[in-house]
Amino acid sequence: MFDKSKIGHSFAPFSIEVERCKIHELALAIGDDNPVYHSREAAQAAGYRDVPMFPTAPTMFSFWGNTHNLSQMTELGINVMRILHGEEEYEYLAPIYPGDVLTGVTTLIDGKSRQGKDGSSMDILTTETRYTNQNNQPVLNARTTFVVRG
Amino acid sequence: MATNIQAPAKLYFEDVQVGDEIPRLVKEPMTHLRLVRYAGASGDFNPLHTDPKIGEAVGVGGIIAHGMLIMGFVGQMLSDYVGPTALRKFNVRFKGMTRLGDAITCTGTITDKYEAGGEARIKGKVQATDQNGDVKVTGTFEAALPHRA
Repeated sequence: MFDKSKIGHSFAPFSIEVERCKIHELALAIGDDNPVYHSREAAQAAGYRDVPMFPTAPTMFSFWGNTHNLSQMTELGINVMRILHGEEEYEYLAPIYPGDVLTGVTTLIDGKSRQGKDGSSMDILTTETRYTNQNNQPVLNARTTFVVRG
Repeated sequence: MATNIQAPAKLYFEDVQVGDEIPRLVKEPMTHLRLVRYAGASGDFNPLHTDPKIGEAVGVGGIIAHGMLIMGFVGQMLSDYVGPTALRKFNVRFKGMTRLGDAITCTGTITDKYEAGGEARIKGKVQATDQNGDVKVTGTFEAALPHRA
């Protein structure tokens, strides 16, 4: 059962620099061979300033940028081995390019516990991470809902 | 890596009608190697996605793909359709687990087009299914498109 008193709690900010080679690596892993994700020259030839951010790149900012990800889950009273991903939502507020330094603040915005008919319990939690860039400009909001099986 | 692959053609607001189908994206059957590559790229090393024994032990029947990898496939479809910097919103709900050998197809439909905040925008719904038609992911998106000059 998660710690309900943590609803509304924000964790300490984390920061990550957006790297061209990570976008290349993510696009390769997904199997997207659009040349703009794989070289600055190709991106510029297509009219972009640099390699653009792949739509699901924000997941990297959280896993690679927030080194306290796991300990924060534990602080919320979550068993990380029992997590299933429920939903993911991104709001892209401004362009993000390699070299940008993003600061993310994660807040637990919602949480509830449910009881199944078979007596099993389930927690459903939603976190929101708001990202600003090196100019303090809001660039991205990311919301994750995950289910923790009892 | 092939160097003669073209970036997809530009899409304009006038090209899109409500009800249009987004060109579907058909992915190859899921391999363990793709999960290894995706774990490294994304930083999600949850053993459910990398170690078959863990999946059996926690009761999901074996190794399963990261939900975010499937969202990545849908993201690829959208990036091909509207371009890499056009998305304004993108969200998915994870409905089913993807296993090795599952071949995912991403599809979508345009549900709205309008002007907002000084931009011409389209909205649509998206889905990822496997070779049996089982739904893995459903979602929506919003994108800003340029007008034809």
